[in-house]
Amino acid sequence: MSRVWALATNTFREAVRDKVLYSILLFTVGLIAVSLALQEVTVGDQDKVVRSVAQGAIDAMASIIAMFLGVSLVWKEVERKTIYTILSKPVSRWMFILGKYLGMVLTLAIEIAILMAVYTLCMVLQQEMPPSVVYVSAGMLLLELMLLTAWATLFSTYSSPMTAGAFTLAVFVIGHLADDLWYFGQQASSAALQHSSELIYWALPNFEVFSIREHAVHHLEVPWSQVWGAAGYGLLYTTAVLSLAMLIFSRRDLR
Amino acid sequence: MNPAIRTHDLGKVYLEGFLMRRVEALRGLNIEVPEGVVFGFIGPNGAGKTTTIKILMGLHSSTSGQAWMLGQPAGTPESRRRVGFLPERPYFYSHLTARELLHFYGHLYQMGRDVRTDRIELLLEKVGMTRFADVKLSKYSKGMLQRVGLCQALLNDPDLLVLDEPMSGLDPLGRAMVRDLILEQRAEGKTVFFSSHILSDVQNICDTVAILVGGDLRGMGTVDELIGNQVKSIELVITGLQEPPADTDVIRTDRGEHRVRVQPERVDAVVAAIQGAGGSVVERLRIRADLETVLMGEMARNTDGVGGEVKP
Repeated sequence: MSRVWALATNTFREAVRDKVLYSILLFTVGLIAVSLALQEVTVGDQDKVVRSVAQGAIDAMASIIAMFLGVSLVWKEVERKTIYTILSKPVSRWMFILGKYLGMVLTLAIEIAILMAVYTLCMVLQQEMPPSVVYVSAGMLLLELMLLTAWATLFSTYSSPMTAGAFTLAVFVIGHLADDLWYFGQQASSAALQHSSELIYWALPNFEVFSIREHAVHHLEVPWSQVWGAAGYGLLYTTAVLSLAMLIFSRRDLR
Repeated sequence: MNPAIRTHDLGKVYLEGFLMRRVEALRGLNIEVPEGVVFGFIGPNGAGKTTTIKILMGLHSSTSGQAWMLGQPAGTPESRRRVGFLPERPYFYSHLTARELLHFYGHLYQMGRDVRTDRIELLLEKVGMTRFADVKLSKYSKGMLQRVGLCQALLNDPDLLVLDEPMSGLDPLGRAMVRDLILEQRAEGKTVFFSSHILSDVQNICDTVAILVGGDLRGMGTVDELIGNQVKSIELVITGLQEPPADTDVIRTDRGEHRVRVQPERVDAVVAAIQGAGGSVVERLRIRADLETVLMGEMARNTDGVGGEVKP
């Protein structure tokens, strides 16, 4: 595992030295700060509006970073030929994919931790110390992004960032509309349409299972049964997608 | 004793483009590289040299046949444990410094910290890069990257060194450094397998040479075996003529003496023409063939063109 860890830390270091990451991170911190200003201009439950906007910003920006870095994760190594001197060491292809993937997860985890620290600071200054449900929600966001990154990694093993980006975005959008897709499919009169919606529902992920944002915004109790169910679903699904990525990559000629 | 490298009927077919056109890059390659030798792999562009090396290093899969490195089936991580590899025009992470990069590779070899540090400092010193070890690779010149590439290839003190065009892009000083490194490896009993376009270097340092043209092995042996008694050209020194004979390459004319070069098969006709015109040949010198002559001869024999193509 030391080789996988070396690949992961190198991927993390590469992301950390990427200026684009800092730009997105700074932009998100700016959004959190702006959400505080909303308190002054909002009518009604001001605190909840602020929390909703700030957490929404964290969700959206973390997802953008996951897609932005994930879609070129493997492709970039092959295109720039940096992979030649790595795979010529006693490193298996699956180790390479796992190392790159874990490096991405490490980057996302630290990025979410930084954003949550900024969020906590803002909340302590303006309102109160956020309850634990807010941090569990952040953990669920990481689980969701782990699955999204696994898909991005899969696409990145055989296609350019542009194509991989389009596919990943499609998975992201469909994954968030999975329940609606199922519902509309069931309402359809055509049997073919019903079956198609069922197929998409079961083949693609349902990202909404990871969402406990309502609980976090309204400071409700942690829905533990949903959390454990989603964690199991996320980890199993992520393992399956990542395994497929390893399988595809193990058969590829590296030009 | 296992050979350092062995291939048996190794073949590779690429499917190119939208129509999946079949291009045969390598056809039934059989080579055996004994341990402790410097083995040169020569051929024109598209001959299959890099394809062979990529199959050995597990970067490409073979379509047919098998290959082994140090007794292990090529393509497995275990087969690369005691092997060092320098790809053609190496690319490295530009966000790292040379020292950081080499430590990263050392981790991939699972080298302990002390061993790794000692080895890295020794190699940086050897290739003259200690001064630039903490500069980011994005600022390096092509020659400097090649030197770092050599360091990473030698990091694990390999028993087998595989180098793809190691002299390309280097100045004469850099080429001399690579030559010395290769000879040093041989002196330590290590095996070096390298491809090159610079045939004079191959001729000077290789114990054995293989010639690959259009995916076919055209010859393998020592330089002397490959060249044999072939004569590249014949130089004649002629006197008694105002002008050097036509259809010859004039090397120089000095005080009525002409030094010309002719192809071996035309020499009798040229000499007869000289004597017929009243001149005489006072000196006749056989210029022995070199690897370039042998390679050019093999390329001229190539009827399939570069990279054999077969119908689906």
